[in-house]
Amino acid sequence: MKINRRRLLQAIGMSPALLAGPADAAEKKAAPKAAGGSEKLVGLNPKGMPPKITLFPLAPRFSSLDGKTIYMVDIGFNNGDVFFQQMQRWFHEHMPSVKTIYRRKIGAYPQDDPELWKEIKSAGAAVIMGVGH
Amino acid sequence: MGVPTCPVVTVAFKQICILNAAKRGMPTLRLVYSPHPVWGKSPEQLWGYMNGPDPSSGSPMMPEMTSALTRPLTAEDQKTGTETPSVGPATFGPDTSKNLQDFYRNNGYTDFLPVIIPTEENVEEMLAGTSHKPEEIVGKLAAGAFDPWSFTVRHVAINAVMAGAKPEHLPVILAIASSGIVSLISSTNDLAYGALINGPIRGKIDMNSGIGALGPFAHANAAIGRSWTLVTKNLANGGIPGDTYMGTLGNMLNYINLIMVENEEASPWEPFHVEKGFKREENVVSMFSGLSVSAGQVGKGSGIGGTPHFEEQYTDLFSTFTGFFGGLLLCDPLCAASLNEQGYSKAKLIDYFYKHATQTAKEYRERNWSYLFEYGQALRGVEPFATWYKLPDDTVIPKFPHPERLAVVVMGGQTDPVSQVANFSYTRSVSIDKWM
Repeated sequence: MKINRRRLLQAIGMSPALLAGPADAAEKKAAPKAAGGSEKLVGLNPKGMPPKITLFPLAPRFSSLDGKTIYMVDIGFNNGDVFFQQMQRWFHEHMPSVKTIYRRKIGAYPQDDPELWKEIKSAGAAVIMGVGH
Repeated sequence: MGVPTCPVVTVAFKQICILNAAKRGMPTLRLVYSPHPVWGKSPEQLWGYMNGPDPSSGSPMMPEMTSALTRPLTAEDQKTGTETPSVGPATFGPDTSKNLQDFYRNNGYTDFLPVIIPTEENVEEMLAGTSHKPEEIVGKLAAGAFDPWSFTVRHVAINAVMAGAKPEHLPVILAIASSGIVSLISSTNDLAYGALINGPIRGKIDMNSGIGALGPFAHANAAIGRSWTLVTKNLANGGIPGDTYMGTLGNMLNYINLIMVENEEASPWEPFHVEKGFKREENVVSMFSGLSVSAGQVGKGSGIGGTPHFEEQYTDLFSTFTGFFGGLLLCDPLCAASLNEQGYSKAKLIDYFYKHATQTAKEYRERNWSYLFEYGQALRGVEPFATWYKLPDDTVIPKFPHPERLAVVVMGGQTDPVSQVANFSYTRSVSIDKWM
């Protein structure tokens, strides 16, 4: 580790002149100019480049849910399974013709599950997906 | 996929869901909100949610959901095409330094501390720190499950200027930016990120790996760490609460992140980057992610009398961790020397931690992180999770799923044989030399 004795002395409030000769170059350095409050600057925009957004139309809706199947896709947050059990109970009591199927999506919540999407599409079903913390 | 879908999310995530749906091209996505939270609620409480209102609209939640699946689509719902979001003009001003400081802070471009205003002149000066062309694309960054932003060498230089970095720091900052890893992420957990610098560049740019290596005692350590936060905020659009950041408490490491510089000269072991296949003379930054750092002095077996048993001390501390994030030992050279004298290499030490930091299968399965991130993998048959989810409750299993989740770095000033342990794991290493 390099030791700079002059800096050491300065750090404890002592004059570095104790170690310097009569022509201490550092002492003669010009002090930096105080920042001018009225000087005008142009700053650059620090933001990067956002991706283009491709708009997707929403999927066509059902005219009614009577007799339809709804997949309840749990993305894996704690207690999501219990949440969807109660949702299934609600459909059973209020819309008994609706068939509900619970699925825990495979993988962690951000991961895709193409096999499940394929299954849902081939079943001609709708999806309720959730739910978070 | 062409299937009528209604996402239901707890109302705490309303803003982030609306914005993320719009960024993914579905600005009219029919979201329905449940009361928050869902976790910790009994079946009867959740039954109450089903029969109560959507807390955002005040309308009954379940009929709102069935309506979302059956209400005819509007013209807006069926819109196609592309849009390019604007990030505003290329320059701001001319204006006074004070007004620009306020402007940058009030527009979310800073970490709320004063920055160096990135003028054309000082950005040009910064660009002298690399041989790469200013308009070269460095990479892409996403602050969560969003489509990533891209950025050039000039963009990184602008943020490095703002952070107070010097041109000689730029190759390290470019390497970090090119890693694809942000330092602020949208998770509700208060995650933190780390970067370990190895190689001769440490000395050339006066990085500190000695006394106070993790503290505010070196310009390079501080400016490189702060640059990463500004890079994340400005080049990945990260760190916007409610939009791209949801950490409930936040993490003080996020200010300048966990910047580590290995004290290769004082270590009895091979440097971290050499473990990863680089040559000793190469300059490398290795990326880590995790949650927090804990003082090592509080563990048992910390060496009162006789031979210290640092391996027991560290294992004791690791046993409190969530295995998901791994364990990183930041080891003072005095401790490393003692362990080395007792026959421990880095690999042998990691093997010790892997075998001695344990939990029962029940404890593992009851962890939120296990259920959220590893149960899904268990369903796919990924080991050891698939097996761990089938074992009897009282079976003793390792705390960490793989030894690769553990790492040892030697740093510190040898003033005291103490260490720190971090709930962090290694992700990848990136060449700094490439960006010189």
